[in-house]
Amino acid sequence: MALVYPQFAEELKRCGVETTLECFNRGTCAAICPLIDEHFPRKMIRYAQVGARDKILANARDLWRCLHCGLCTQTCPRGANPGELILGLRRLALKHWRRQSHV
Amino acid sequence: MYDPKAIIDLIAANVRKTRNPFGAPSSLLNRWWRDIPLRREGDAMLFTGLMYQSVPYIEQTTKRLARLEDSFWARYVGLGRYVPSFLVCLGFRLMATDREKRKFDSMVRDIHKILVKSNVDFFYRPELDYYSGILLHDLGDEEGFARHASFVAKTLKAKGIEKLITVDPHTTYAMKVLYPKVTGESFQVKTYFELSKVTANDGSKRVTLHDPCFYGRYLELSDAPRRVIDNLGIGHVPVRSSGVFTSCCGGPAESVSPRLTAEVLHRRVEELKATGAPVVAMCPICLGNLLRAGVQAEDLSTLVARYA
Ligand code: SF4
Repeated sequence: MALVYPQFAEELKRCGVETTLECFNRGTCAAICPLIDEHFPRKMIRYAQVGARDKILANARDLWRCLHCGLCTQTCPRGANPGELILGLRRLALKHWRRQSHV
Repeated sequence: MYDPKAIIDLIAANVRKTRNPFGAPSSLLNRWWRDIPLRREGDAMLFTGLMYQSVPYIEQTTKRLARLEDSFWARYVGLGRYVPSFLVCLGFRLMATDREKRKFDSMVRDIHKILVKSNVDFFYRPELDYYSGILLHDLGDEEGFARHASFVAKTLKAKGIEKLITVDPHTTYAMKVLYPKVTGESFQVKTYFELSKVTANDGSKRVTLHDPCFYGRYLELSDAPRRVIDNLGIGHVPVRSSGVFTSCCGGPAESVSPRLTAEVLHRRVEELKATGAPVVAMCPICLGNLLRAGVQAEDLSTLVARYA
């Protein structure tokens, strides 16, 4: 079971992501992504859309597999900018880890 | 895969301390210019961002990280904050060979030569040639990146510098797109190949251009290097993925997973080899990766300077 945060898209805006809710789950990003791996980045984007913050943080290391190559952003039919969303999630996870290590 | 936070914290601390990712003085890293008569005043500043000069060190560190990643020790590399830190510092001090350093330095010297031969009004001041901080942005440390970028932008502006000539895609993207966003300061940025006026008539040669992601896609700058090649009379052999749809060489994953880099690189190498032509790269990270994979490749600067 996952907790969801309805305000997550707002939180991501503070990490530089304006397009969290644009995605309509077409899957072009996962098809073109050179990582060819378990629906990356689509799965992370889905988690972000439904506000599954904990799921993202539990799998956060995977975010650093992204090459920032931009192919997903180039081909996304919605202009949802998946590559930048992954970058924004990295910022979120890093902030979280840094806060934790200061506790 | 290594612990991203450990790697980022290490790189961020180094950038804070020494303004480059290695934690050693930039003056040790940046030595390509020492026996070249430099102009210290002019219209635009040559701004290398220290990327070419860094590749021999990055490669040595990555090689050792890769060996560990697949080893029995990998399990302990969650302990990894110590291992990468040890290797990064050691990589800097001991591992890069003089031969490798000379090889990448010579590309910056070639760029200098191309600009001189093209009658570009430019100058170079090694003490103002800073690392852009791009790795911090790519790894998600936006605050660290913004802090460093503000320092660099302010320092350059204080010296009256408005125009930059860049030499690699990562620094170009940082200075052209990211700096205005995070520092509020803008520069007029051009790559050296947009300014090249070197001409020749070498009808016998054919090459394949490997567009790096940042030139091909993010900056949509794949026409300019093709024009440079055309001006030399050299023919192109197209590769399956190019321009805005170019394939990544895997370089960006290097600091957290050399194994992943190797997988992605392998696929790109297959595409490039299928053209049967020698490859021309425009990014020191791509070039280093392609050479390591046994591709017959050279940098655009090396090729153009041969005719300059
Ligand atoms: S930017 Fe990242 S998520 Fe997008 S295609 Fe490239 S590697 Fe995959």
